[in-house]
Amino acid sequence: MTSSRAAFAAILGKDLRSELRTLQALPAMALFAVTTFVIFRFGLDRTQLSGSLAAGVLWATLLFAAVLGINRLFVAEREEGGFDAIRLAPVDRSVLFAAKATALVIYLAALELIAVPIFALFFLDSLAALGPLVAVLLLTDIGLAATGTLISSMAVNSRARDLLVPLVLLPLVVPLMIAASGATEPLMAMGGPGYHRFGTWLLVLGLYDLIFTLLGYAVFDFLLED
Amino acid sequence: MYGKGLKPLSIATVALLAVGLSLVFFYAPLDADQGFIQKIFYLHVPLAIVALVGFIVGGIFAIFHLRSGDSRWDAYSYVSIHISIIFGVAVLITGSIWAKASWGHWWVWDEPTLVSFLIVFLLYCTYYPFRYAIEDRERQARYASVFAVTAGAFVPLNFMAVRMAQSLVHPRVFATSTGGLPGSMMFTFLVCLAAFALLWVTLVKFELAAKSASGQVKRLRRALDAPSPGGRSRIAPEVS
Amino acid sequence: MLGLVLAGAPALPLDEAGKYVAGAYIVFVVLLVIYVAIMASKLARIERELREVAEVAEERSKEGAAAPGRGSETPSISGSLASHGSRGGGD
Repeated sequence: MTSSRAAFAAILGKDLRSELRTLQALPAMALFAVTTFVIFRFGLDRTQLSGSLAAGVLWATLLFAAVLGINRLFVAEREEGGFDAIRLAPVDRSVLFAAKATALVIYLAALELIAVPIFALFFLDSLAALGPLVAVLLLTDIGLAATGTLISSMAVNSRARDLLVPLVLLPLVVPLMIAASGATEPLMAMGGPGYHRFGTWLLVLGLYDLIFTLLGYAVFDFLLED
Repeated sequence: MYGKGLKPLSIATVALLAVGLSLVFFYAPLDADQGFIQKIFYLHVPLAIVALVGFIVGGIFAIFHLRSGDSRWDAYSYVSIHISIIFGVAVLITGSIWAKASWGHWWVWDEPTLVSFLIVFLLYCTYYPFRYAIEDRERQARYASVFAVTAGAFVPLNFMAVRMAQSLVHPRVFATSTGGLPGSMMFTFLVCLAAFALLWVTLVKFELAAKSASGQVKRLRRALDAPSPGGRSRIAPEVS
Repeated sequence: MLGLVLAGAPALPLDEAGKYVAGAYIVFVVLLVIYVAIMASKLARIERELREVAEVAEERSKEGAAAPGRGSETPSISGSLASHGSRGGGD
């Protein structure tokens, strides 16, 4: 038990440290998000967004920025023999899944820390939505991280891995996006944040997170065989 | 081995399909508000149910494959998903025709069942490029099984989320049509459901038999050390 | 009697509705037939390959008869193939 926790902390620490040192994925994701906001401003020809449009722009952008990060999640493992290391270690291999997914949640949270205030600056007329939005962001991040880690670990060992992640991931996260935008839309309504079915959507997000985290954890062992 | 029992199975399928279709056109009463259009219901909905169950069955086979390592389960999973995708194409096209006849548009976003089915269909379409991008055969089979399990778990979750996304203003036509069915319609529907389920099983068995025959030929070639024709670049799952 | 039932406000006139319903059922039949056609071509390929393998096996058995001392396996495989082949050929 303790060795699992130690392994988890070690892998997570290594990942975060290396990202902080090289700063590759995070700035790219943030920059991508902000540029995409600008593109939306011109594509939709609007300077103010509210309701479903605001929710849609925000979540589509966050999703595509997340895919950038997910694509790169296991590259270091594959190139530097991280998979072999975890296979040899006397630890439950699902620890790698847990550590990577946690790292991804942290990356996504960091991304949102930068992108969401900028989104509010560009398009929203009040910051009232941002408070409750944190809950939605957090739950969606966990779902994205679980599914993204699972798909990324499978795609990293294949040809055309950059194509595979968006291809397979996007349909899988549709329920997540439905729930996230469903919760966000009333928050960003014209007259002030509303909470129509807010609790229900959060429940759906939670259910998705639970199912895919458990699934990823259960199944990850099979992915590392060989 | 897979061909065994295929003949009585297909005969039963044809018989049940004939009975079902006869019931649709000669026995089931006309729907009060949709009229003759409603007859598509007996084709579209059973196909959809069989396809979705087929996907979940593919996931269950995948679980057996992961737990036992026996590649036969992988072949069953692959073929189940394949046949379900073909049924899925039929579901989407017949659904579109029904939408056009009922509401005048070839596609409607208001129908949660159709939309969630589309998403599931899109997901399973990625099964093939995903599978064939992995070169090592054993790993390919294992990853494909993980995909099938994940996708199988996804089906009910997705259905629920899409259904919730529909605003309560739009009436749920399909739901009410199944809910308030008179007995004769329900009976016809169930016969058609059984017929298409049987068709699914027949086609799965049929495809497994073809794959098995192909595998036996390869086995024979290997045993005789005979040269094989220009190999295909993809490593498809084998049954032997 | 059908006329009475139809008099109760159908969504579309019968001939138009009939086209859509027929279209849906035709799509189903077409897909099924396309699938059968694809499987038929797979079957043709298997038949062709079996024929090739049978020929290879027969040649081997001839060589085996000419040069004694070959394993007993080859004649039995080619023997069963030959008998099946002639049965299949007579179809």
